Amino acid sequence: MPVFLPHNPHTPQSIPLKPLFNHTTIVAIDVSNIKLGETETGTLCAVRGAIVWKEKSRYKYLRLGPFPFHVTEENKREIYHLLKQYYLDTSKEANTPSLVHMQARISNLLERWIQTIICSSSQNTIILWDGSLTAGTVDSPINMMSQLLETARTRHNTVLAFSKMTRLRLLGHRLTDLVGKCPPPCILEIEGFHVPSGPVRFLGNIYVAKLTEGHCSFRLDIDRRVPRERGLEAIQRLLGNDLILQSYPETLRLAHIYSTFTANEVIGIQRFIAQQCGLKIVTRPNIRRILFGPFGKGPEG
Amino acid sequence: MRLYRKEGNTVQILSFPEEEVEKGDYLLVEEPKANKGLITQVIDVQFANVPGILEELLRDSTDDEHVYGENLDPLEVASHVTYIQDARVLIGKIRGTIEEGRLSVNTSWLPSRSQSIVKRLPTASLLTLAKISEDLPLHLGETKESSPLTIDARALDGKLNIVTGKKETGKSHLSKLLVLGLIDHGALVVVLDLNGEYINLGYSSKGERSEYQGKIRVLTPGANLKVTLAQMNLQVMLSILIHALSLPGTSAREFRRIWRFLDERCALTLRELGEAIRSWKCNQHVRDALFSRYYTLLNSGFFTDNPAEATTLEEEFQKIRGGGTLVINLQDVSSVDRQVVVEYTLGKLVELLTQWKIRAAFLFAEEAHLYLRETYWDDIVTRMRHFGVFTTFVTNQPDTIRENIYRQADNIFLFNFTNEHDLETVSRAAKVDAETVKSIARDLPPHHCLLLGKAVKDFPVVVRVRALDVQTMGQTRLFFAKN
Repeated sequence: MPVFLPHNPHTPQSIPLKPLFNHTTIVAIDVSNIKLGETETGTLCAVRGAIVWKEKSRYKYLRLGPFPFHVTEENKREIYHLLKQYYLDTSKEANTPSLVHMQARISNLLERWIQTIICSSSQNTIILWDGSLTAGTVDSPINMMSQLLETARTRHNTVLAFSKMTRLRLLGHRLTDLVGKCPPPCILEIEGFHVPSGPVRFLGNIYVAKLTEGHCSFRLDIDRRVPRERGLEAIQRLLGNDLILQSYPETLRLAHIYSTFTANEVIGIQRFIAQQCGLKIVTRPNIRRILFGPFGKGPEG
Repeated sequence: MRLYRKEGNTVQILSFPEEEVEKGDYLLVEEPKANKGLITQVIDVQFANVPGILEELLRDSTDDEHVYGENLDPLEVASHVTYIQDARVLIGKIRGTIEEGRLSVNTSWLPSRSQSIVKRLPTASLLTLAKISEDLPLHLGETKESSPLTIDARALDGKLNIVTGKKETGKSHLSKLLVLGLIDHGALVVVLDLNGEYINLGYSSKGERSEYQGKIRVLTPGANLKVTLAQMNLQVMLSILIHALSLPGTSAREFRRIWRFLDERCALTLRELGEAIRSWKCNQHVRDALFSRYYTLLNSGFFTDNPAEATTLEEEFQKIRGGGTLVINLQDVSSVDRQVVVEYTLGKLVELLTQWKIRAAFLFAEEAHLYLRETYWDDIVTRMRHFGVFTTFVTNQPDTIRENIYRQADNIFLFNFTNEHDLETVSRAAKVDAETVKSIARDLPPHHCLLLGKAVKDFPVVVRVRALDVQTMGQTRLFFAKN
């Protein structure tokens, strides 16, 4: 547990929380992607999204997909721009990602599209995202992210983004290690972060959430434009309306579970592709294995 | 279907939901290039160990009350995932090889995993390949593919057979079918009928006289089955006294003297025997022992001094010499009297066979442990077999038949068993591996039987036993009768 001096401008402030039981719908969104294999001309991947609603005592889910893609050097531009145009309603031409990044980018586009749909169709709900509210990266342009959050705000929704992993550190310490002695449920408000130079922007206030007893704590981003009190109230309403296990909301956990691909599904999708498209998956030799034998760890290729 | 693994004489075959394969079915793992095929029999059907299945089932196992939802799957990929989920692994035992159209027992070769084609081998084709002749056809029923299954009656000739299975699975029904099938080919059959199930075999299910009417002779001890002492052989009588009535050795020796004394004077009657015991100079304890046995014999009603009342098995066999059955009706006969009758019947049977008065006889013994003494089992299996007594044991308690009998059995007609102990006992049969017996017998539906042994050339076959138009009388009497 790091120790901070009393007047250190970076001293995190612990905020105790009390569950608020007034009825609020919780919605969580998650998207998964998986590589299915390689063909002679490209890669095969699949994406799937899941939306989970917590209403009263029941969870309702909607799974979208799986959507398999065969991405090649020839079709990657067409796929990317079509999806971008359809999902984000933008005809603005952008650089097409490289083949190896296409899987993540397709997945990201689907996620943003689902987030847009939910933000614009829900009202007075708490929307849980998997990840952070960091914008300015290739897959999260500032304009698009700001617009998304604004759509949510105008319909009185609050977006809470939970990150399981964060690279952010405060005085050399990982953010999620800072919450050690606070009695849960509580959040640590982290202020004074150095705003990074370059295109990256934090669109949310950053907290460390420790919502239950246990070892887990998470980085929590709340829309910066939402008044602080309303943001804190949203967490308290989450506590009062959702099941929280290991500091993580059950709705978001279910969204993750429903979107994730199992090994069996991968085989099933491979079979679908082989049958519908006649594509043959090629098994490339693992060069690392060939060269280093049992010491050849790491990604194949 | 694809060949997945082979280990010893066990193969694993990957099968998909639309390929309907059940336990007991035969598959041919064919390698066209080598012009060879491996004959395997499915003994178990398991789910394929598909990775990730547990996660998927856990995810889908939520009840609608707490978690519900829907899937938007426009490409209908889910059906492919379900298909993989339902993939099965067929565990099969290698039974032989087809090499250039001929059957051989060589199972030492390994078919190609990538090139071999797995297809179903209909039982009828297998039996044709195995050259199961039908010189003397005995139609047992139908195979799973609804083709008739007929064995050769010769497969029962000179053989030891066991019909076993739990209650109400159709054992007695099959044994009646075998009895009638043997009669059709002119065989002489003796049935030790414990429950009076065979006494109406001469009647159709509607109660009308059937074609077997004159061929089924029911002999009820004390009624139309009585014998005089003069008909008896001393050895048979001593067997009755020692084994059925537990006469001690000293008393048996005195009895032998009395018997010889009466025999020399041609006075072998019950009356004379009683008088002789009374006046015989011997120890009082011996006299008492002999008297108690004498009265047991007297009260059994099985013995008579009136030659006109007496039955001779020789004459009875004469009446059915063109083929028929002597049903020894042991229903309502006390346990001791039952043993007396069986000792007499078997002793007389051996006597007739030894004297070549009959050529051979098929003996059907239902629940033999209830009337057959310990030492007779080996006798029947070894010695009496050489005389021409070919036994079929019918039982629902497989552990009452000793292991060595199972090992020597030529044919086993196995019905359903669920009890582990029973399965373990039956699996000791030498005709097939224990796994096959345990796995297939456990799931046999009623009236389905697994045939093991020479009748099917050691290719275990499942058969649905055909119905018989005879009064089987095997049904249990119920208190709450249905209208």
